[in-house]
Amino acid sequence: MNRAAEQPEPNPLREGISARAVPQPCTIVIFGATGDLTHRKLVPALYNVAADGELPPAVAIVGFARREKSDDEFRRDLEDATRKFSRQAVRDEIWKTFAQSIFYHQSEFEDESGYKTLAKRLDEIDKDYGTRGNRLFYFAAAPDQFEPILKHLKAAGLNQTCKGSWARVILEKPFGTDLASARELNRLVRNSFAEEQTYRIDHFLGKETAQNILVLRFANAIFAPLWNTHYIDQVQITAAETLGVETRAGFYERAGALRDMVQNHLLQLLCLVAMEPPTDLGADSIRDEKVKVVRSLRRWSRKEIAANVVRGQYAKGAIHGDPVVGYRQEQNVKPDSQTETFVALKLFIDNWRWADVPIYLRVGKRLPKSATEISIHFKKAPAVLFNKDLRDLNVLVIRIQPDEGISLRIHAKVPGASFRIEPVKMDFHYGTSFGKASPEAYERLLLDAMSGDATLFARRDEVEHAWAFIDTIQDAWAAEKDAPELYFYPAGSWGPEAADDLLARDGRAWRRL
Amino acid sequence: MPAIAETYSLGLPVEIGRIDQELKKLWQESKGAATRASLINLAVYCEEAGSLNTNTQLMARIAENHACRAIVIEADCKAKENRVDSWISAHCHVSRAGSKQVCSEQISFLLKGTCTTLLPSIVFSHLDSDLPFYLWWQEEFREPMDPQLWAWVDRVIYDSWAWDDFRAQMHFVESAQQEAKQRIVLCDLNWTRLDAFRFALAQFFDHPASHHNFAKIRRVRIDFAPGFRSTALLFAGWLAAQLSWRCEKTDMEDKLRFVGPSNGKIDIQLRERPGEPVTEVALETPEVEFLVTHAQCGDLLEVSRGKPGEKRTPQLMPAGKNDPVSLMSAELMRGGPHDVYLHAVSCVRNLL
Repeated sequence: MNRAAEQPEPNPLREGISARAVPQPCTIVIFGATGDLTHRKLVPALYNVAADGELPPAVAIVGFARREKSDDEFRRDLEDATRKFSRQAVRDEIWKTFAQSIFYHQSEFEDESGYKTLAKRLDEIDKDYGTRGNRLFYFAAAPDQFEPILKHLKAAGLNQTCKGSWARVILEKPFGTDLASARELNRLVRNSFAEEQTYRIDHFLGKETAQNILVLRFANAIFAPLWNTHYIDQVQITAAETLGVETRAGFYERAGALRDMVQNHLLQLLCLVAMEPPTDLGADSIRDEKVKVVRSLRRWSRKEIAANVVRGQYAKGAIHGDPVVGYRQEQNVKPDSQTETFVALKLFIDNWRWADVPIYLRVGKRLPKSATEISIHFKKAPAVLFNKDLRDLNVLVIRIQPDEGISLRIHAKVPGASFRIEPVKMDFHYGTSFGKASPEAYERLLLDAMSGDATLFARRDEVEHAWAFIDTIQDAWAAEKDAPELYFYPAGSWGPEAADDLLARDGRAWRRL
Repeated sequence: MPAIAETYSLGLPVEIGRIDQELKKLWQESKGAATRASLINLAVYCEEAGSLNTNTQLMARIAENHACRAIVIEADCKAKENRVDSWISAHCHVSRAGSKQVCSEQISFLLKGTCTTLLPSIVFSHLDSDLPFYLWWQEEFREPMDPQLWAWVDRVIYDSWAWDDFRAQMHFVESAQQEAKQRIVLCDLNWTRLDAFRFALAQFFDHPASHHNFAKIRRVRIDFAPGFRSTALLFAGWLAAQLSWRCEKTDMEDKLRFVGPSNGKIDIQLRERPGEPVTEVALETPEVEFLVTHAQCGDLLEVSRGKPGEKRTPQLMPAGKNDPVSLMSAELMRGGPHDVYLHAVSCVRNLL
């Protein structure tokens, strides 16, 4: 999106070939290189962009982790994983050349000497592979490891580069667990890397449909005049999944749905839907507008939180006909756990555009289907002529996943002598209209980071304002006295009844997915 | 879908006046099992006997990635009888989501005799409304260029590789473009053929620190397959246009000389070699050679840089394919104006 990101001297031979900022040669250092994220997402994504010819030839990958491993063993592990998780079949000849630039660096995260040897190794790679002193540090390690890694990178001088080169850091969520910890993390990061060197990844923003929200809003004149309180009755954002906590109980017990999903993914989507038009497509122009949305979120009092936020936890039930256990019966979950696996909340954006338009967010595990979508519900036409008895509203739906697309519900006359009116759906499916598969979110985001385009990454103030909003809810839930109730819902249902009541009180209902 | 929707066949013969009704019937008979998809009107025009079948097969494959209203036209201008035959069909494939059939409609026409002059009226009355109109012209252009037709075209697609007289042909398309007030984008599949090579060569110079090499380029070698000299020349034109080289007169078929912005001479050698349309490109400065060459396995390019004769570790990049479906897919995927192409053409127009 940020076409001009850090491209001071355009390459004349690129003209007309690529509309995106060009990824620069670099070495990608992955901390936590033996972990799941590296194997399932990062290296398959890098392989795919290499196979598509999008990766500059001068890119090297260095895996940094504790386990003893040779370069060849690491390459073999990654090859196995890439064959399993890549969106396209792995071609031996491409993998062979791709793997030549993969290395393994064994060190404890706390061991200072490991970073000194890393610095030497990176210099050698620069000489041998033409990576030009550019470094992209990817933190795929647990958040509690960020501090020693950042400290030692700085001590080894790896946070700085010579003129004409760059060093960037990509941080995986969670960016803290509350405002205080987010600030502390940001402080730690800022001690070693400037904000413009810092890329906080939220993979939802790398999804094609999420990016298309801006195109839908700002490239189509028909929506602009309608996109406000005068015409929109309500907005709903749902992120539902059939999965339970799986192997993430350790993390999830501490996080819960509010921190795991709402603070980042859902608020990011809300920002794209609600933001004002940016002055240009520069990273900061877009992020400035997103921050304004988060800052405008109405803060509820504790009493209001009880009325407007519903938390739930799945009990035993069935998904697709298969019985599943309740959350408290999952492995590594406390039998009296108070962790929420479902959140529904009503919020308001107190600005001119969105005054009095309720925004309903809903996220949950073990729901009947996996789907993420945004629906914009328009107000009723005046209750004269055809509209006296119409119950359905015009709804614009943006499907983020799966089956990415956009649909619009309008009213139409049923053929016949009578004036019977029924809702019909105009439907756009990415998969139907565009044969080419969308790249994985990580592919797009890694290329953006290599290009210096931070548009699709969260900025420090965005993260902190989001935490400030979430903390008020979290604090209310943690209160010893009068804490809002934790509701239980059977796995395979659409959450506790209280979530339905939240909308029913306003004369509304959740969109049927 | 009913049997008439069978891919690769011309489908159901229909009266020209009943095409819309029959298409409607086609979808009614599918009973919702298939979704009609269309992003563009893609008309293909050819005068070769039997091209209706050949182009139907191509359209079926193109439609897998580019949902369209396909209009396939075969014209026999020399036929004594005057008639128009038409057919409808649908090219269906299972969508990426895997749950439903996605179909593109095709309307086919066989025009004979004086009916070939009906081309604009036939095309206009069967366009899917509000969608851009791409015309794939598989013939040489000739007078008269019907202004009525060209005024409707958004993109005209042709392959200059097949042209006998490049300058004359370009004159035709540029005139049509001017008449249409520049609305038409000229899309040359011979240029598309170079996409992967251009991409592979460009990436050497993505880092600003490598830009100093532009001024040092002294020799360029372009190896091309027999019959693809025009492709190689377009490549040379691209380099010249983008790097601001001026062409100096040359009498030799296989050697061109250009002058760079600082008056340095650049020699371009064109070498005919069996293989892919462009098999290898080497850019040489006194210190370094930038090399892009077709890998043994065919659909990959090896790219490397280094001192001449020095051992290098090449990287692999996609090479693209030189078949009509791949070229058309690449062209349809790209979109946008083709100013760079026009600049390249203007640099080597007299050599083509």
